[in-house]
Amino acid sequence: MTKTTHFGYKEVDVNDKQGLVREVFDSVATNYDLMNDVLSMGAHRLWKRYTIASSNVKKGDCVLDIAGGTGDLALKFRGKVGNSGQVILTDINGAMLEEGRKSLIDNGVFDIGFVQANAELLPFKDKSFDCVSIAFGLRNITDKKAAIRQMFRVLKKGGCLLILEFSKVENEMLEKFYDYYSFNVMPKLGGLFANDEQSYQYLAESIRKHPNQEDLKAMVIGAGFDLCEYQNLSGGIVALHKAVKA
Amino acid sequence: MLRLSLEKTLNRLIDTCDIDIETLEGKKINLQLTELDIALAFVFTNSRIFVIKSNEVSNFDVTIKLNKDAFLSLIGGTSLDELLDNEEVVIIGNVKVAKKLSEMLAMSSQDIEEAIAHYTGDIVAHQIGKGIRLAKDKLDSSKANPIEAIKDEISTILIAPSRSHFFGNKAP
Repeated sequence: MTKTTHFGYKEVDVNDKQGLVREVFDSVATNYDLMNDVLSMGAHRLWKRYTIASSNVKKGDCVLDIAGGTGDLALKFRGKVGNSGQVILTDINGAMLEEGRKSLIDNGVFDIGFVQANAELLPFKDKSFDCVSIAFGLRNITDKKAAIRQMFRVLKKGGCLLILEFSKVENEMLEKFYDYYSFNVMPKLGGLFANDEQSYQYLAESIRKHPNQEDLKAMVIGAGFDLCEYQNLSGGIVALHKAVKA
Repeated sequence: MLRLSLEKTLNRLIDTCDIDIETLEGKKINLQLTELDIALAFVFTNSRIFVIKSNEVSNFDVTIKLNKDAFLSLIGGTSLDELLDNEEVVIIGNVKVAKKLSEMLAMSSQDIEEAIAHYTGDIVAHQIGKGIRLAKDKLDSSKANPIEAIKDEISTILIAPSRSHFFGNKAP
């Protein structure tokens, strides 16, 4: 019997999801930063800034940014770790990685490592990193539990995991507005600015299929982390899960 | 936001003052501020401190219970021994570990007073001056890039205004 998983609201063969997600990101890669600004009205920059502030990263640290896309988080981590530290950006999608490389070079940054990798099978040694981050990437991964177990594996003892992801809105009124915006406005904006309505329909659907705050926390603890807490941002539109491998 | 402020303050202290926390590696301290309904876990690992909600952590090496006045005395420089003698603090577990944390808290008293000001309902003069002091502290801590420090503060206010220093933090 074929094992299935969700791709937005569609049920697809588990082996097909990765390819379907890749098609979405191949399509949106060149307009990714612009669309993030348009769709979130700039809030994604604040969410990421809060994530960096929460990272507890210091000079000399090794940081892995998974599904790092266009490299905005990696760039900020680079400033934190200094010349004695190292930042590695991974993404499964070659087009996104290429956009990230261009963006970082445009920012005058040449010493961030780029690795095209599947988060479910990270090509790094055990206990290599002080911090692992993934921002708006986890919901696109087919086997989330496997990916979080990999994140646990590559973290050093005392290392910190940060998962920034869309989540469950706390307030009923805000939820109604957010649903209307997600399903009626976002795809139209995607069509208008990126000529790609379908990919942004997937974005809205994939957010609704992603585990809520408590379920994701349970998943993180289940992967072996000793401590995990989350902070809702913008009323739960986004949540930052922070876990420590104590 | 309180936890994040404390975490940043203490880790900055460790780095700038080169404080040796090797002996505390792996230790977990539970700090309970009665009256204020604040319970914080200080977890020492990977040569840094994480400040987390107490209920997320188990197997503490030591639990420190004290009220608002005793806490303010502690960060004001009163020794833990003196507070113990006066029965103003309860310590369950490793006293040496508790002392080390209390010394660090005292060393960063101004920042910590700032972080908990909305809980303690401190004096009016303090409230008037806090915006100015906060901005000054942020700038001092990021002399290399004051614009970044200001952006950080603005981000906090915009993301979670109810938890910002300026609007009165209500959640630890």
